[in-house]
Amino acid sequence: MSETEVAPVKCVGPEYRAESQKPTATVSTVVNIDNLTEGLNHLPTVSHTVTTPVGRPYDGLSFQGKIAGVSIMRAGEAMEQGLRDCCRSVRIGKILIQRDEETAQPKLFYDKLPEDIADRWVLLLDPMFATGGSAIMAVDVLKSRGVPEERILFLNVLASPEGIKNFAGKFPKLRVVTAFVDEGLDEKNYIIPGLGDFGDRYYTR
Amino acid sequence: MPSTIPTAPGTPQLEDLVMNLKANGTAGTSSADGTIANRAHYAPPWADVSIIGIAGSSGSGKSTLSQAIVSKLNLPWVVILSIDSFYKSLDEEASRKAFRCEYDFDAPDALDFDVLVDRLRDLKAGKRADIPVYSFEKHARMEQTTSIYSPHVLILEGIFALHDPRVLELLDMKIFCEADADTCLSRRILRDQRERGRDVEGIIKQWFSFVKPNFEMFVDPQRKVADIIVPRGVENQVAMTMVTQFIQQKLLEKSTHHRAALTRLEIGALSEPLTPKVHIMNQTSQMRGMNTIIHDIDTSSEDFIFYFNRLSALLVEQALNNIFFTSQTIITPQNLPYRGLAPAGEVSAVVVLRGGAALEAGLHRVIPDCKTGRVLIQSNIRTGEPELHYQVLPKDIADHSAVLLLDAQMSSGGSALMAVQVLVDHGVKEERIVLVTYSAGRMGLHRLTKVFPDISVVVGNLCTDAEERWVERRYFRC
Repeated sequence: MSETEVAPVKCVGPEYRAESQKPTATVSTVVNIDNLTEGLNHLPTVSHTVTTPVGRPYDGLSFQGKIAGVSIMRAGEAMEQGLRDCCRSVRIGKILIQRDEETAQPKLFYDKLPEDIADRWVLLLDPMFATGGSAIMAVDVLKSRGVPEERILFLNVLASPEGIKNFAGKFPKLRVVTAFVDEGLDEKNYIIPGLGDFGDRYYTR
Repeated sequence: MPSTIPTAPGTPQLEDLVMNLKANGTAGTSSADGTIANRAHYAPPWADVSIIGIAGSSGSGKSTLSQAIVSKLNLPWVVILSIDSFYKSLDEEASRKAFRCEYDFDAPDALDFDVLVDRLRDLKAGKRADIPVYSFEKHARMEQTTSIYSPHVLILEGIFALHDPRVLELLDMKIFCEADADTCLSRRILRDQRERGRDVEGIIKQWFSFVKPNFEMFVDPQRKVADIIVPRGVENQVAMTMVTQFIQQKLLEKSTHHRAALTRLEIGALSEPLTPKVHIMNQTSQMRGMNTIIHDIDTSSEDFIFYFNRLSALLVEQALNNIFFTSQTIITPQNLPYRGLAPAGEVSAVVVLRGGAALEAGLHRVIPDCKTGRVLIQSNIRTGEPELHYQVLPKDIADHSAVLLLDAQMSSGGSALMAVQVLVDHGVKEERIVLVTYSAGRMGLHRLTKVFPDISVVVGNLCTDAEERWVERRYFRC
C-alpha cells in the first residue's frame, strides 16, 4: 500500500475567500475524456413558458422523453432512493451480475427491465466504477434490448480514471456522471483510496 | 401583559453534523477582499429605544400604571422592566437580617445601579440585554437571566427609577406616581403577603423603620426631576392619554426614519454589480425545469411542494459551500489516507417565518438534526415597514461556525436586513451568516450586501424587485 499521497490536493472554498482561509483537500482526479460529465442535466428539454401565480410569464423549459432507472444489484440499489427523490414514479429495472469464480469474468445472472425500455432514456446506477467490467456487461444488455448508447447515462458516486478510459474506448457516445474521480486502482482492481466494498458498507454494516 | 421576549430553551445537542460537501473544484484565485465599497449603515427601529421611567412610593401604583400603558398601546414592542430585578445579592449577614425584616430594601444602596445602567445602555444601542432575576424568597439573584431584545419602548418602573443621574440621562420621559401614604401602606400589606410571602407584622415593621424614612429622604425628592407627576394612577385618564400619545408619536417618528433609511439604501442598486458573495444558482436544465414547474400557476400543490423541497435541498447544499471547513485526513477501509474536510464547527439555521419554513424540508434532507431558531418578521400593511414580532434562537448561536438564514423570497430586503441584524445583535459574526432564499430582486440584494458586506447569500433565481410573496402562499396553501 502506498503511503505517499498522489491524489491531487487543492485549497477549496468559495472564490471570494482568501487562500489562507481555505482548507486543503483531495480533489477529483482530472480525466480528459469527453463523455465524462458533471451533472444530471443531459436529458432533452423543450422550452415551455408558463404563467406564475403573480400573473407574469416565466420562460421555462420542460423535460422531454421518458426515463427509466436500471440498477446493477446490489450496490446500485442504494442509489434508487436518490432517483425516486427526484422522479417519484420512475420505472426501475434491475440487473444482477456476479463474478464467475471459474473464469473470473463477470456473468449475467438475472435481469428484469421495463418492456418499453428501448423508448426510454436509461439511468444506469452503480455507485462504484472501478474497471467497469460489470457495467460494460450491463450496457451490452441494454443495447441488446434496443437502447441506443447515446440514451444511456451511467451514474456513479466514485469512479477510477482507468474505468472511465475503458468506457470511453468501448462506448464513445455513452455519458458517465460521477461525483468524484479517485486516484486509481490497486492490484486487486479496487478503487483507492476508495471507500471499501460499497454493498457491504451500505447494507450489512 | 408586558411582553418580554424569551430566549430559546436548550435544544438537543447536535452530535453528528451531516455534511454534504461538494468540494469547489476551482482553485482559489485570490479574492476581491477589501475592495468592497464603503459600508452603508442600517439602524433597526429598536436601535434607539425610548425609555420611560416611572418612580413613586412603594404601593403608589407604578406597576399598575405601567401595565395600563402597555395595554393601551397594544403593541408587541413595549417591555416593562422592574428595577426590583436589580437588587444586590445579599451576603450571609445581610441575608439573615433580611429574613428578620431588618434589612433596608428601600434605600438606593440595595440596588445595583451599575448593572442597571449597563443593561439600559445595551438596550439603547439595540443590543440584547440579559436581565438578572431576583428571588424575594431567597434574597438572592437567581442563576438564570431573562433577556430583553428589540423593544421600541421600555418602561422602567421602580421606587428609584429617577434616582441615578446616569439613568436619568437615558430616559426619554420621566413620570412620578403619587398616592396617599395610607393607600400605599395598605396596598403594600396586601401585595407582600400575597406575592412575597411575608407576614403583616414584618411588613409593618419594615414600613416604619425603612420605607417611610427612605421615602422622605430619597423617593420624594425624585419629583423634582420628573416631567409629569401623576396623581391617582390609572384612574387619571388625562395623564394616561398624555403618556400614550407621547409614546405613539415617538414610534411614528422611528418608523418614518427607518423607512427613509431603507429607501436611501436603494441608491446605486442599478449601477453597481452584485458582490461575489452573492451566489445565484447556475441555471442548469434541471434547475430551470424545476423552476418551470414551481412557477406554473397550473402545477398541482402536491407537485409544487415536491419540487420546491427538491430545489430547497439544492439551495441548502449550495449554502454549505459557503461555510467554513477545516482539513481532516481519514483512513479508508483500504487503509489509505484520504485528505477530506470537516465543518469548522456546529452549523445551525434560523428560519424567517413564515416563508423560510418552506425551506425547512430541504434543510432537514441535508442536515437532519440541524438546530433551528425562528424569527417572525411581518411587514406592516399600512406602512410597508418590516416589524420584528417574535424570535427564538439557539442559546449558543454565537459559537456556531455557520448560521444559515432561510427565507423563501426576498423582495425589498427589509425583513432580511432585520433578520441579519437580529443575528448580529446576538453575537453571530457576519462572515458566518449565509442567507438562503429561493428568489430575490437586485435591489434587495444590493441593500443587504451594502449594509452587511461580509455575509454570503445563496439565491435560487433573480426576480423583479417588487415580487409578491407567492411562494409561501403556494407552499402552505393559504
